[in-house]
Amino acid sequence: MASSKDKVSEVNQSIYDFRYAENASYKTDSGLTEDIVRQISKEKHDPDWMLDFRLKSLEIYNSMTIPEWGPPIDGLHMEDIVTYIKPNTDMKGKWDEVPDDIKDTFEKLGIPQAERESLAGVGAQYDSEVVYHNVKKEVEEQGVIYTDMESALTGEYSDIVKEHFMKLVPPTDHKFAALHGAVWSGGSFVYVPAGVHVDIPLQSYFRLNAAGAGQFEHTLIVVEPGAYLHFIEGCSAPKYNVANLHAGCVELFVGDGARLRYSTIENWSKNMYNLNTKRATVGKDGIMEWVSGSFGSHTSYLYPMTILKGDNSKMEFTGITFAGKGQQLDTGDKVVHIGKNTSSHISTKSISKDGGECVYRGEVTITENAANSRSSVNCDSLMLDSISRSDTIPAMDIRNATSDVGHEAKIGRISDEAVFYLMSRGMSEEDAKSMIVSGFAEPVAKELPLEYAVEMNNLIKLEMDTRD
Amino acid sequence: MNKNTGLSVNHLPVLTWNHIGINEAQFPETELAEVEFDACYEKSGFGKEIAEIFDNIETGMGAEAVAFTMNHCTNPIFIRVKEGEKKVIEPLKYTFADGAKVCDVTYILAEKNSEVSVFQSYISEDDTASYHAGLTKIVALEGAKVTLIQTQLLNDSSLHSNDLGIKIEDSAKVELVQAELGAKMDYVGCMALLSGYCAEFVADTIYYGDEKRKTDLNFIARHTGKKTVSNMKAKGALFGETDKVYRGTIDFINGCKKAKGDESEETLIFSDKARNRTIPLILCDEEDVVGNHAATIGRINENRMFYLMSRGLSENEVKELVVRASYESVLSRITDEEIRSKVDSYLERRMIIE
Amino acid sequence: MSELLRVENVHALADDKQILNGLNLEIKKGETHVIMGPNGAGKSTLDSVIMGNPQYKVTEGKVFFEGEDITALKADARARKGIFLSFQTPEEVPGVTLEDFLRVCRRNMTGQPLKVFAFRKELKALMDDLDMDPSYASRYLNVGFSGGEKKKSEILQMLVLQPKLAMLDETDSGLDVDAVRVVSKGIKKFKNEDNSLLIITHNARILENLDIDKVHILYNGRIIKTAGPELIEEVNTNGFANIIGKED
Repeated sequence: MASSKDKVSEVNQSIYDFRYAENASYKTDSGLTEDIVRQISKEKHDPDWMLDFRLKSLEIYNSMTIPEWGPPIDGLHMEDIVTYIKPNTDMKGKWDEVPDDIKDTFEKLGIPQAERESLAGVGAQYDSEVVYHNVKKEVEEQGVIYTDMESALTGEYSDIVKEHFMKLVPPTDHKFAALHGAVWSGGSFVYVPAGVHVDIPLQSYFRLNAAGAGQFEHTLIVVEPGAYLHFIEGCSAPKYNVANLHAGCVELFVGDGARLRYSTIENWSKNMYNLNTKRATVGKDGIMEWVSGSFGSHTSYLYPMTILKGDNSKMEFTGITFAGKGQQLDTGDKVVHIGKNTSSHISTKSISKDGGECVYRGEVTITENAANSRSSVNCDSLMLDSISRSDTIPAMDIRNATSDVGHEAKIGRISDEAVFYLMSRGMSEEDAKSMIVSGFAEPVAKELPLEYAVEMNNLIKLEMDTRD
Repeated sequence: MNKNTGLSVNHLPVLTWNHIGINEAQFPETELAEVEFDACYEKSGFGKEIAEIFDNIETGMGAEAVAFTMNHCTNPIFIRVKEGEKKVIEPLKYTFADGAKVCDVTYILAEKNSEVSVFQSYISEDDTASYHAGLTKIVALEGAKVTLIQTQLLNDSSLHSNDLGIKIEDSAKVELVQAELGAKMDYVGCMALLSGYCAEFVADTIYYGDEKRKTDLNFIARHTGKKTVSNMKAKGALFGETDKVYRGTIDFINGCKKAKGDESEETLIFSDKARNRTIPLILCDEEDVVGNHAATIGRINENRMFYLMSRGLSENEVKELVVRASYESVLSRITDEEIRSKVDSYLERRMIIE
Repeated sequence: MSELLRVENVHALADDKQILNGLNLEIKKGETHVIMGPNGAGKSTLDSVIMGNPQYKVTEGKVFFEGEDITALKADARARKGIFLSFQTPEEVPGVTLEDFLRVCRRNMTGQPLKVFAFRKELKALMDDLDMDPSYASRYLNVGFSGGEKKKSEILQMLVLQPKLAMLDETDSGLDVDAVRVVSKGIKKFKNEDNSLLIITHNARILENLDIDKVHILYNGRIIKTAGPELIEEVNTNGFANIIGKED
């Protein structure tokens, strides 16, 4: 059959792959020096403490070595990366005012359309700065703040920002966290007051348009006690022949009894080094939920981490990684149980195809004080051919006698019997395999809002399509 | 590696975050007279070709441990079982006293379609601090079957390392049964290379941690042959302030079509001061394989506890029952009466559940 | 009546073992055939070979469907020509719901876009007929289905796909009396004068309501006897010993 796009409409890869000429109002030289960091700080009108913070981070960056355990990042030359590109516009609150080339980009990606249909608020970042931010009035009236980080840093919420900024992910965490601390720009700040339930999701979309550039956005979300938020993050970039770098940082503060759901579909272009750090801390009775789809990038290091600090706090992580030709996606999850009666559940799927390499790398730590805690980890890996690779590297560190930890992992291929069964019902071999892979990914898709589930299915179809 | 901290051993086949502290371990060296190991081959009658096969076998603890043990080994044992022969080797019992320091090397060659069973036991006779570094290499040629049973009951001040390297050829099978129950530092490394068509490797290991014992285990099943099968199990109970690390790796190398690897670990923790680190790896660059690993760590399953208590057992009785039950598959294989009774009384004495 | 299926001198291997040894079989449009035979005779191999299971290798002979040589066709092409196999142990396919699956299959067969609500209504009616709880439509294909539900799921698929030739492999095994009744009802509902059935069974219960045209005894990879429905009675009373004895 020519098309088996059942609940999935036909997809056109070019929606991610178009690009516009760079039209920046300001851009730094490539590479990383104290001068550049000072320039960025000046350009962004940082408060003094932030300049100090950046310089300190730069020092740490220079003193640290790159990790020796992950996939190679030799292709990334920091001296060639432009760390700051300011698009030729100020941030807009009205879509009409966004310059045409940038507007077209996001129109093609369906951002304003999604906003109209199903989102409470939208932020859009183009290269280094947020170009558009808008929140629905009723959400604003609930006291929810959703703005770009720059405004937050200098505006009336500056104290909240200062109190939280890079406290969860300190620049000393690893070399690329230090890099982020030195050159970060853009990103979103969200504040949900105590008890406020934001019914429909907020979304940020990150687009890196310039070649040889780095994107270092910072996302800071504070969900106060008893509040609820679903935040969606999307990322994409056109393909260039030179390496691009994404070293974002996401810090999530989930208060007592609060719940935060953080969903990501990442589809960076295949020249991207995605060295991203995401971390959440959860208060008493709080819940953190991650849904994470990794499809793009040349190389990824991504392990969203949750610190279950409060008693009875919970974490759920659902992830899928699809590595195709030339991709090395080292992804996974980390959780540290500190509070009593805390629980975590991690479920991941990976698919390796056409020489792609997937690694699941995980870490579950149950500390001495985290009495009666539970953790379960499930990793399923699918190998679609023998030139690909899939590794599972899950570490567990358990330090008390009253907890339960279970871990299961499976690796295998699509069974011939299943393919024959579907073919006996009239499906071509390709479609049968594609259906089995979609089914394999289904537990992740069903955790996503519909339009993202559709996007994910489209990405799988794209990756599975061997007819090109 | 920094020699001040000892030998760098039990390397994780691929690295992960350093802060977890499981990428490798350190095992102390000790002062012993050096020997020239190659000279030993003469009395083995192995011949150059066979000696070369043994020399090329990788072990679980790694090259530094192998070099140290071979360079200080005084009385290597060579076991050769001829084609078609079936043999049960007289138990190799090592008894430690007066602070004895021993490096022992055992090479087992099972020729085509032979069968051999070897038993090694390490026991302390007094409370003095002894040192043991053991190296056992096994080559199972086509259709051979090798069973190696090991028990270790050294005292709380002794250091013990047990390094294994195994090569399994067409339709051969090696079975490893281990009771690692004693010592201050109990380090085990085992690398099984399944190179032959339909080669099979089975490992069943029990460990016991209490007081301040440090247990560090590193198991690797490397599949290169087609239709190879590995099954590694480890079970243990942790008390006191013990610190245990288990690394278990199934490594599917491209070309090992239809290979199957299973690995499981069950750890019962009875002390809030005990620490357990487990890292079960599956490495895979072959599509046509099936790999599974499972780990359960922590307290006894609540349903099982409830069921057994409803039959009249106290909580502590249930705990003891469950630990003993998990050890049974290994203990039942210790057929040497003397050693078996020593193992039983050791567990009776040590395992005080409160 | 015109020929639907013709199996001509087929030899087939499974795992390098010879299972079929020059098997011949012809089924006309509208006919119902039953295949009986002791375990290991090659009954399921025959089904698999007709369906085109790549695990069975045809070394000699040909399979024709509506006069066309389909020996080299893959399973999906055969399905689209109208061949259906009800599996003894259907595969479980996680993540794909029964309804979605059937919708894709149906659209594949007809090449026409489907009206979602009409299809759902049709499916619900068919499931009612089979005493299947409607919630099964949104469950993953065969995952966690009991033996009986799996068989019903196979019959449901047959009813949705409307093949020209349906092969039912031990469709009654492991079913209780009520389930056999429901499955027979499904088969009866399916059968009309334009389509044909090939039933493999040990058990006569499922055949009770059907008009059977021919019964074949399969042994050592060949059909050694063909007769009318009276042969079922004979096998049920005397077993295969007599028939096989004559062959040897």
